[in-house]
Amino acid sequence: MADRLLTLEIFRYNPLTPNIPPRMQAYQLRETPGMSLFIALNQLREEQDPSLMFDFVCRAAVCGSCAMLINGRPNLACKTLTQDLPDKITLMPLPVFRLVGDLSVDTGVWFRDLSLRTESWIHTDKTFEAQGLEERMDNPTALSIYEAERCIECGCCIAACATANMRADFMGAAFLNRIARFLIDPRDERPAAQVFEVVGTDEGVFGCIGLMACDDLCPMEIPLQGQLAFVRRKMALAGLWGK
Amino acid sequence: MRTNWISLHHIPEGASVNLQKTLAKNPRWESGMELVQLVTGVFLLGFLQFHVMAVSTIILGAAAFNKDAQFLDEHYISYIGIPLVILAIFVHGLAAMRKAPWKFQEARVFLQHSRRLGHLDTWAWLVQIGTGMAVLVLGVIHIWSALLTWPIAAATSAARVQGGYFSFLLALLLVAEIHAMVGLYRILVKWSAYDRHKFVLHLIYATLFFVVLGLLALIVFLFINVKV
Ligand code: HEM
Ligand code: FES
Repeated sequence: MADRLLTLEIFRYNPLTPNIPPRMQAYQLRETPGMSLFIALNQLREEQDPSLMFDFVCRAAVCGSCAMLINGRPNLACKTLTQDLPDKITLMPLPVFRLVGDLSVDTGVWFRDLSLRTESWIHTDKTFEAQGLEERMDNPTALSIYEAERCIECGCCIAACATANMRADFMGAAFLNRIARFLIDPRDERPAAQVFEVVGTDEGVFGCIGLMACDDLCPMEIPLQGQLAFVRRKMALAGLWGK
Repeated sequence: MRTNWISLHHIPEGASVNLQKTLAKNPRWESGMELVQLVTGVFLLGFLQFHVMAVSTIILGAAAFNKDAQFLDEHYISYIGIPLVILAIFVHGLAAMRKAPWKFQEARVFLQHSRRLGHLDTWAWLVQIGTGMAVLVLGVIHIWSALLTWPIAAATSAARVQGGYFSFLLALLLVAEIHAMVGLYRILVKWSAYDRHKFVLHLIYATLFFVVLGLLALIVFLFINVKV
C-alpha cells in the first residue's frame, strides 16, 4: 500500500485573520511505510506550507494534544496510520473547543475548568499522616478508579458528542467520567447529594441523551457507557432520596 | 464536611452568574423530567406490545378477538387504560422532546455533526424524534377513529381495515415499533453497563417479532369476513 499519492484536505482558518474565510485546502503527499498523521503533517509543514498550525507533544498517544477530526471522526493523529485511511484524507480541528487556528484547538482551558469545578482531589476531614501506613483499598475499587483515570484529556469524547456540539455548557463524558472517579473513591467524603446539586442537571448527566459516540470513539477505550450510567444511577437516587 | 463544591467555587471562564439562572436552576426538576420521560416511555412500551398482542388474537378468529375486547371492556380496563395512554403520550412527548434541536441553528449543528461523524447511534436520535412525531399524529387519529365506532369489535375493525386503513395502520405499526425499541435500546444504554453490541441483536429480533405479529393481524383483518 505504500507509495500511494495521498491527498490531505485540511481545514484552514486563523481567527486572528478573520478577513480570510474558513476553507479546505488540499495538499498532496507521497505515502511512506508506517507513516502516521504526525509524520505526514510535519512533512507538509516542512516541505510545503510553514503556516500550517497543528499540535503534537508526545506523539505516542499519551498527552492527548493531537486530537482532531480525521475523516470526520475525532481521534489521535499521532496514533493514526495513513495505511488505515483511504487515499483522500480530510482533517479538521475538534469542534466545541476554542479554535486556535487550522487544526489546533485549546483543550487546556476546558480541562482546567473541569479539574477546578470537580475539585479533583480527595476531600476528607481526616488529617494526613505522612509517617502512617497508607489505608488499604480492595483491588476491584482500585481498578475501577484506575479505569477512569486512564483519561488523557484529548477531548475526543466532547467533540464526538452531539449534545456538547449543540450546547456549550454541557459537561460531557470526560467531565462525568471524572465525577465517577470521585464517586467511586471511598476516601472522598463528599456525599452524592452534594454532587447532585451540580451534576443532576441538564448541563450534567441528565443532558446526556445516550448517543454513545463518546464510548465508540474514545482513543483510550474507556468504558464510558458504564461510567455515565453509573453517574446517572447515582444522581437519580440522590435526587429521589437525597443520598 | 464541606457543603459547596463543583462550580460553586469556580466559575468557568467566560461563564457568568446571573439572577435569573441562579433562581431557575433546579436539579430536582431537571432529574425529575428525565424520570418522567423514562417512566412514561416504559409504560407506553408495555402498552404498545400488549396492544399488538391483544389485537393479534384476530389470527385465532373473530370470536377470540371479540372475547378479549369484551373482557377488557367489562373489567373497565379499556376505560382506565385508554385515558392513561392518551395522557402518557402527551406527557412523554413533552418530556422527551425537551432536548430536541428546536432552534434552527441547533438543528444545523446536529445535522452537520451527524453527517461528519457517520455514526449510527447518533443518527438514531433523529429517527427517534421523527418517529415520535409520527406516532403522535398517527396515534391521535388512530385512537379517535377507534373511539368513533366504540365498542371495539372484530366487525368494525375489519370494516376499517378493508375500508382503506390498512396502509395507515401498517405505517403506525412500523413507526411505533421502531420508536419504542430504539427507545428501549436508549434506556439500556443510558442506565446500564450491559454490552450494547450484544443486546442490540435481541432488540432487533423482538422488534421483528412484534412487527410480523402486527402485520399478520392486519392481513387477517384485510381478508376476514365477519358476520355480525
Ligand atoms: C406508542 C407510543 C410511544 C412509545 C412506546 C414511546 C417509547 C419511548 C421510549 C421507551 C423512549 C426512551 C425513553 C428514555 O430514553 O428515557 C422514548 C424516547 C423518546 N420519545 Fe417516545 N414513545 C412513544 C410516543 C412518543 C411521542 C408521541 C413522542 C413525541 C411527540 C415521542 C418522542 C420521543 C423522543 C423525542 C424520545 C427521545 C428522547 C431522548 O432521547 O432524549 N415518543 N420513547
Ligand atoms: S501527540 Fe500526544 S497523544 Fe498524540
